[in-house]
Amino acid sequence: MFQNTKCECGHQNPTGTVLCEACGNPLVDDLPPDSPLEMRYDGAARRSQKQNPDLIDRVWNFFSSVKVAVWLIVITLIGAALGTIYPQESSFVNLDDPAQYYKDTYGTWGMIYHFLGLSRTYESWWFIGLLVMIGTSLVICSLDRVLPLYKALSKQQVRKHLNFLRRQQTVYETTLQTEPAEWVEKFARELKRKRYRVWIDRKDGMALLAEKNRFSRWGPYINHIGLIVFLLAVLARAVPAWHMDKYVSLDEGQIKQIPDTPYYVKNEKFTVEFYSDDELPERLKGTLRPKLYETKATLYTCTADCDDPVKDPVLVPVKQHNIQVNSPLSYKGLKLYQYNYEERIRLISVKPMLVDKTNNRSYGPFELPMTDPPLTYKAGPYTLKLSDVYPDFGLDEQNRPMTKSRDPNNPAFVFVVTGPGLAAGGEMYIYFPMPSAENKKLQDQLNESFRKLGSNSGRFAFEVNGMENVSFSQYTSTLNVRVDRAMPYIWVGAAISMIGLVMGFYWQHRRIWLRIDGRALTLGAHTNKNTYGIRAEVAAALGRTGIAVEPKALDNRRNKR
Amino acid sequence: MYGGESVKRYRKPIQYIILAFVVLIGGYAIGQSFFKTSTVLKAGEAAPEFTLADLSGQTHRLDDYKGKPLVLNFWGTFCPPCRDEMPDLQRIYEKWQGQGLQVVGINLSEDRISVRSFAKSYGVNFPILLDKNRKIERLYGLKEYPTTFFIRPDGTIQEIAVGGPMSESFIEQRVERLFQP
Repeated sequence: MFQNTKCECGHQNPTGTVLCEACGNPLVDDLPPDSPLEMRYDGAARRSQKQNPDLIDRVWNFFSSVKVAVWLIVITLIGAALGTIYPQESSFVNLDDPAQYYKDTYGTWGMIYHFLGLSRTYESWWFIGLLVMIGTSLVICSLDRVLPLYKALSKQQVRKHLNFLRRQQTVYETTLQTEPAEWVEKFARELKRKRYRVWIDRKDGMALLAEKNRFSRWGPYINHIGLIVFLLAVLARAVPAWHMDKYVSLDEGQIKQIPDTPYYVKNEKFTVEFYSDDELPERLKGTLRPKLYETKATLYTCTADCDDPVKDPVLVPVKQHNIQVNSPLSYKGLKLYQYNYEERIRLISVKPMLVDKTNNRSYGPFELPMTDPPLTYKAGPYTLKLSDVYPDFGLDEQNRPMTKSRDPNNPAFVFVVTGPGLAAGGEMYIYFPMPSAENKKLQDQLNESFRKLGSNSGRFAFEVNGMENVSFSQYTSTLNVRVDRAMPYIWVGAAISMIGLVMGFYWQHRRIWLRIDGRALTLGAHTNKNTYGIRAEVAAALGRTGIAVEPKALDNRRNKR
Repeated sequence: MYGGESVKRYRKPIQYIILAFVVLIGGYAIGQSFFKTSTVLKAGEAAPEFTLADLSGQTHRLDDYKGKPLVLNFWGTFCPPCRDEMPDLQRIYEKWQGQGLQVVGINLSEDRISVRSFAKSYGVNFPILLDKNRKIERLYGLKEYPTTFFIRPDGTIQEIAVGGPMSESFIEQRVERLFQP
């Protein structure tokens, strides 16, 4: 179906043009003759209609459709809502068997939820795919519309066809009483006072175009640019180095590596302060409510031997900070937040004395750390060699010593003591540093059984004199380690988006055309929003040139309110 | 003639460029989501490389074991089934060593003293390597202890046995498969 694209003014328009690019005369009669013109993109051809769209064109046209964009947004909204029904997998610190957990906690629905992948909605391929499609739609929709709009607005004609002027939303026709040239100058001055930019065409009768706030038309496109930056930043979080969300639990005095980084963090000391009873309201008195908890932490970086299996990594401290809730340790984009703590007494090291029961003499003290203990120790003339270590002592099914876990919850050390006056093979003793009745009983029992086997003479014992020889951790602090390099870009995207919205909402693009044929004045005005405002401005400007007219009278829309 | 011609001339390249970006960025983002779910090792994949020290301080790399079948057993003294299957592993090692089977135990980051005394008391003489800070354990995606990897001479995983204790016949069946071409 061919469309007549040559306007009566002589200008040849591209296919699909609604209003002639030169004079504004409507080329397509799709609206009733009295109704205001469709002024979208100033009537310029938005897309070149091709006879045989190839694959690229089809894909382009799909994403260029606003209807498709709306559907994409609705589907993404529903998908995102589904992700909020049950807690997502990413919200758990330690989830070993997700399938089992969802089934156990939420029953059949939970099982279905996990099976469909909804427990990982925001990382799933379809959700990210939808975000990518929305981003594509944003780009293509905007490009397809902003280019024709820019071309139309930057090549505006001053002299418009009478059909164009008479079918605007705001119209005024009258016969001038005064000299046209003079009147137009006066009118232009009034409009310039209202910050309009005015062009006047003086040949073949006067014609005038006044325009203001064209920049407001770019608002929606700036908004879209902001959204695209925002989306790209969100997708950028998929880059491994740009996003981390891990947890590290540390006893006091313990140093641990932050996994997959060259950083190590040490918990120097953890403090928790509770509100005293007089600081608490009546109903909370007697409860233990934390007032403050803080981890004095030091961040180290490994400078040498970082992956050496034999040697210990060489660490250099790089940052120290007292981490409190919402006051993280921040270093090169790495942030360590206070997440949680647990009261759990764990020995760090003890300095026991070796006691000779035969003559009541004590030797030492020697330093015994609970983790990574050295092999040999000296106490007076005696040498102690560590023969076995059990971080978490227990007995197996055959009542043999074993360790229940790798954490130093209840350490036990088996020493072989050698020195003057002792058998050549030395004497074997077991020592439990944690003071408890149960431990004492076990220790005595086991040492007694060694004695029965001839492994020791029952001569030695271990004793720790005073709390100053004990170093222990009272709290285990959990820190949340995060990296989020995409955040600044997300803020930038949001800011650009906001600027675009403000541009579009708080200013309106207004244009006033008029032409004088003889003494007949025809005026038409257009704005993209707030027609009330432009009618008031036109009426005010006309009033100051001597033509008194009510703003309401200028209204040319079908449904006059 | 305004607008139309120049738009047409640049239109196609712009379309190609934009759609190319969409495919690249979108493909990367969506591909990432697939990648994240599969941190678990599967049979057929190459066993991840490691460098660990043994009880005498010598370093061993996974590469050192290429060319002959390997049974890689992750274990700890705190894990009863790990301890229970040690004698079976030792027997298999003695039986098949002559034919070229390699058995390596990787200890789950315990201290040297415990590991050495355990190995001695159970009479284990295949190489025991010491993991540090649970690094290799995480690299191999372990969820349960013990976990044993049966690795072919070319370095790819034939089978992963999660949990234990494995019986001698269980281990033997898999070792036989390792020797099949």
